[in-house]
Amino acid sequence: MDEEPERAKRWEGGYERTWEVLKEDESGSLTATVEEILYQSKKRRVIKSHEQVRLGMMRHLYFVIDCSRSMDDQDLKPNRLTSTLKLMETFVDEYFDQNPISQVGIIITKNKRAEKLTELSGNPKKHIDALKKAVDTPCVGEPSLYNALSLALNNLKHMPGHTSREILIILSSLTTCDPANIYELITTLKSLKVRVSVIGLSAEVRVCTVLTRETGGSYHVILDESHFKELLMLHVKPPPASSSSECSLIRMGFPQHTVASLSDQDAKPSFSMSHLDSSSGAGLSLGGYFCPQCHAKYTELPVECKVCGLTLVSAPHLARSFHHLFPLQAFLESPTEKLLKNRCFPVPPVIMCFVWTVISSSTIRCTAAPAVFKVGGLHEAELDHNRHRIFIAVLLVFSLLAFSRPGLEE
Amino acid sequence: MKLNIDGLLVYFPYDYIYPEQYSYMLELKRTLDAKGHGVLEMPSGTGKTISLLSLIVAYQRAFPLEVTKLIYCSRTVPEIEKVVEELRKLMEFYAKETEEVNNFLALALSSRKNLCIHPEVSSLRFGKEVDGKCHSLTASYVRAQRHGNPNQPVCRFYEEFDAVGRQVPLPAGVYNLDDLKDLGRRKGWCPYYLARYSILHANIVVYSYHYLLDPKIADLVSKELAKKSVVVFDEAHNIDNVCIDSMSVNITRRTLDRCQNNVDTLQNTIQRIKETDAAKLREEYRRLVEGLKEANVARETDVYLANPVLPDEILKEAVPGSIRTAEHFVGFLRRFLEYLKSRLRVQHVVQESAPQFLKDIFDKVCIDRKPLRFCAERLQSLLRTLEITDISDFSAVTLISNFATLVSTYSQGFTIIIEPFEDRTPTIANPVLHFSCMDPSIAIKPVFQRFQSVIITSGTLSPVDIYPRILDFRPVTMASFTMTLARTCLCPLIVGRGNDQVALSSKFETREDFAVIRNYGNLLLEMSAVVPDGIVAFFTSYVYMENIVASWYEQGILENIQRNKLIFIETQDAAETSMALEKYQEACENGRGAILLSVARGKVSEGIDFVHHFGRAVIMFGVPYVYTQSRILKARLEYLRDQFQIRENDFLTFDAMRHAAQCVGRAIRGKTDYGLMIFADKRYARADKRGKLPRWIQEHINDGSLNLTVDEAVQLSKHFLRQMAQPFSQVDQLGLSLLTLEQLESPEMLKKIAQIAHQT
Repeated sequence: MDEEPERAKRWEGGYERTWEVLKEDESGSLTATVEEILYQSKKRRVIKSHEQVRLGMMRHLYFVIDCSRSMDDQDLKPNRLTSTLKLMETFVDEYFDQNPISQVGIIITKNKRAEKLTELSGNPKKHIDALKKAVDTPCVGEPSLYNALSLALNNLKHMPGHTSREILIILSSLTTCDPANIYELITTLKSLKVRVSVIGLSAEVRVCTVLTRETGGSYHVILDESHFKELLMLHVKPPPASSSSECSLIRMGFPQHTVASLSDQDAKPSFSMSHLDSSSGAGLSLGGYFCPQCHAKYTELPVECKVCGLTLVSAPHLARSFHHLFPLQAFLESPTEKLLKNRCFPVPPVIMCFVWTVISSSTIRCTAAPAVFKVGGLHEAELDHNRHRIFIAVLLVFSLLAFSRPGLEE
Repeated sequence: MKLNIDGLLVYFPYDYIYPEQYSYMLELKRTLDAKGHGVLEMPSGTGKTISLLSLIVAYQRAFPLEVTKLIYCSRTVPEIEKVVEELRKLMEFYAKETEEVNNFLALALSSRKNLCIHPEVSSLRFGKEVDGKCHSLTASYVRAQRHGNPNQPVCRFYEEFDAVGRQVPLPAGVYNLDDLKDLGRRKGWCPYYLARYSILHANIVVYSYHYLLDPKIADLVSKELAKKSVVVFDEAHNIDNVCIDSMSVNITRRTLDRCQNNVDTLQNTIQRIKETDAAKLREEYRRLVEGLKEANVARETDVYLANPVLPDEILKEAVPGSIRTAEHFVGFLRRFLEYLKSRLRVQHVVQESAPQFLKDIFDKVCIDRKPLRFCAERLQSLLRTLEITDISDFSAVTLISNFATLVSTYSQGFTIIIEPFEDRTPTIANPVLHFSCMDPSIAIKPVFQRFQSVIITSGTLSPVDIYPRILDFRPVTMASFTMTLARTCLCPLIVGRGNDQVALSSKFETREDFAVIRNYGNLLLEMSAVVPDGIVAFFTSYVYMENIVASWYEQGILENIQRNKLIFIETQDAAETSMALEKYQEACENGRGAILLSVARGKVSEGIDFVHHFGRAVIMFGVPYVYTQSRILKARLEYLRDQFQIRENDFLTFDAMRHAAQCVGRAIRGKTDYGLMIFADKRYARADKRGKLPRWIQEHINDGSLNLTVDEAVQLSKHFLRQMAQPFSQVDQLGLSLLTLEQLESPEMLKKIAQIAHQT
């Protein structure tokens, strides 16, 4: 599960200068690499993310996927478009896993136009199907940032005030073809509290910097595929809500799943409401979730009732969204020397150096379980919380049994 | 932040300091201590100006008797304003920290055009018109006439200033041009004359090079500045050209025609005055007999800055009798003028030295050397006597008389070239007499002699040892500083080959080569697809650019480029270029992306910064050698070889590389900025070229990026741009390239700082 996405193959990575990565930094400070800076900022982010903030839990997110000529570029394999769509599929899955009461829509932009691929909805299947189909779209022309943003804005502005309005743009092109002044649109976006984030596939473009800075989003540029995935996954977590967003109570229904027992002769198979409009058949089933208000039947949750508009969720969904609000405390960093001196530790430090490459001279202590991790990269510390728990449990077992599992290799 | 620079307490108005700034201040302090001159190179965007200002101000406060004045020379008005703003920040910091009122007076000075507040005069468009109009309102005899004739128009601001303005010195503070104008409006004083008067007692003066280097202006403005001053020439990489330009004279047929008119006017005026007021001319004659004794006394007592147009010898003598009376002088001018006209009637190029010219003029029209020497002084005196109001009309005759004085004074360092037509249009007769100065040290010599310390500094002065040679002075410190960086934010690449392995070069033989042009086009096309926002491309000349762009158009390359970015072109027309620049910036701003095609040595390459997204990449197509067929250049090269033992090739390469460095340096204007520098010519890979780039660029050229193909360059650029796009904040710089006081004082940092300065 926690397998690190493998980096691009050596022969795929273009001209790579491995000897430069190995450069020692003993004499001058001139060679501090970008990697080091990235590592530091990641660390800061992890520590910062554990502050108590209000989060926008009900999210409305529009993806904008650039399908312009530059998406044909083969620096991501097999090309940028395919790679992006693949990652988007996993993202959509992950997104709904973590934010069950949120919605997503997809827009693509090419040939100076923008069009909707899917409407805003909470059904991951629909999006994933659309994404799968989109692999074959030809990449032509220039993207239009303006058109894409205004299309998304027109849909988002009708969303209620307590939900978050977000746009996430995957931009590959370095140019945009706009029909009007984009800076005016940025002010509109700002006033409507739409948060725009951009993930650039090639380089930093000025207009995106301004766009994200003004609207409070984030702007990142990928280094390679694994970094791309990492950046995408940052958007799985709900963003902090602006203090000015409304608070309101929301009516929700918690329908029970009722399965008519086969013995019950009265039970008749019925159609699920969500299958009515879709042509895919086999909507007939015996059991299902029944809306507590109007008794419409649905086969899966979460969903917004088509009849009475009630949000139907199950308790675990809500709980899953809820955990973002109470994150686990951050790891504490303490130098190794101190630890070795201080032997009265409840659990003996597990030296896992042979599992993880050690590039940092400090260890990180998990606050939930007092085990000691010797961590290099932050992949471990940044595990999302579900995994985190499992991981710690596993680790505890191992540390108590005082042997480590060689198969834990990343 | 309060720093201890070698025992001197320096107030630095920022919380953080770059290591190289500290190093720079150390070096500067050493120069001031030794009371000598210095050449310091430090990359742009590392806070040269504030380092200079804070150290020199601190020095002035600590040793008020050693250094009385700072004269800061910059090139353009916006740069002057920037310096004043930094100074203001520094002074505010002083006021806050020391909590005492300091009596520092700092001000900027610019031309009348930028300072005039007279409603009519200031609305004129050209500097010359403003000067002329101002003169016609403020000249002493105009004002004298007003006593008899109250209708005579004068400038009320000047009158008011003349009446009371000199009584109280300007209150302490920092004044930029607008402040001066505001003050002028409030008090009703002329800001220009107020500033000119105030620089005499100001602690810091910020003005343009010309006020010190151009003999005509320096004589008016700067000659009384105190000897114990520190002079700073910022952005001084072109200082030799400024010096040469200020001493050179070009005479065309039009100049001579206008001069003829001037002489006629003079003749008529003399005739009129003779009838009405002969005493005046007699008085002048008497004065001339006495000679220029007063001027000589002044110079000997060391009150004035020496004027190279007014050489020492003539001060000791009286004006020769042959030109003492006004009529004789006018007759003399006529003869001289006729002689020049006859010289311009040549069919072939003539090049001769000053002594040859003098011999020829003596043979043909019997003009001696001596009266020629006094020509400039004599004309000034005559113009004063004749009370001519509008001096600007007499620029032609002034030019000719200056020429006469220079040609008879300097037997070396100048050459005379008469060309019957321009090189570009060999069929149209347009004779020009170039009297060109070949020795920049002539113009700058008085400055080095008079002032205690002269600092020459810029972002690109490499190789630093050549400047002392061509300017003929002996510096006590010469240093080149690098830029400490938390991440390598510049990426110099030398592209030597196309994808088809054709060698890329702008050298003469391959200039028309189709394959080279196509590969250059290919390079630009590929770069336009991977570089975001703005790209600036420099060509070696306008002609070359026109050829290439035309060829690209035919091959359809331009069309392909335009899919990625818009294209703007610099032209020789200033208005057109500034329009193109504006649109270029707009296109960079709104995400469309743009390419600016411009010319090395043009306006864009010198004065305009392409910060951040306005210049993510600079592409230098070819090596920007000067036009080597020019006779003036040839003469200069010869002179350099004979006098200073600088080989032609060395100088040409030096000159080309400083311009190339200027061009590519436009992209990096600070440590948070980043940019690609692409040198598209295989000749850059040679050690003699590469070695002449500034140290801070050279450091980042590694052997792997010496002879790249277009493809490889694109790969490297892609990688670099992605790396640079990663978030980068101030915290990342702290401790490496940005220091707090504690970090600065740590011993290992001090050791590192010692390595930053590269002594030569």
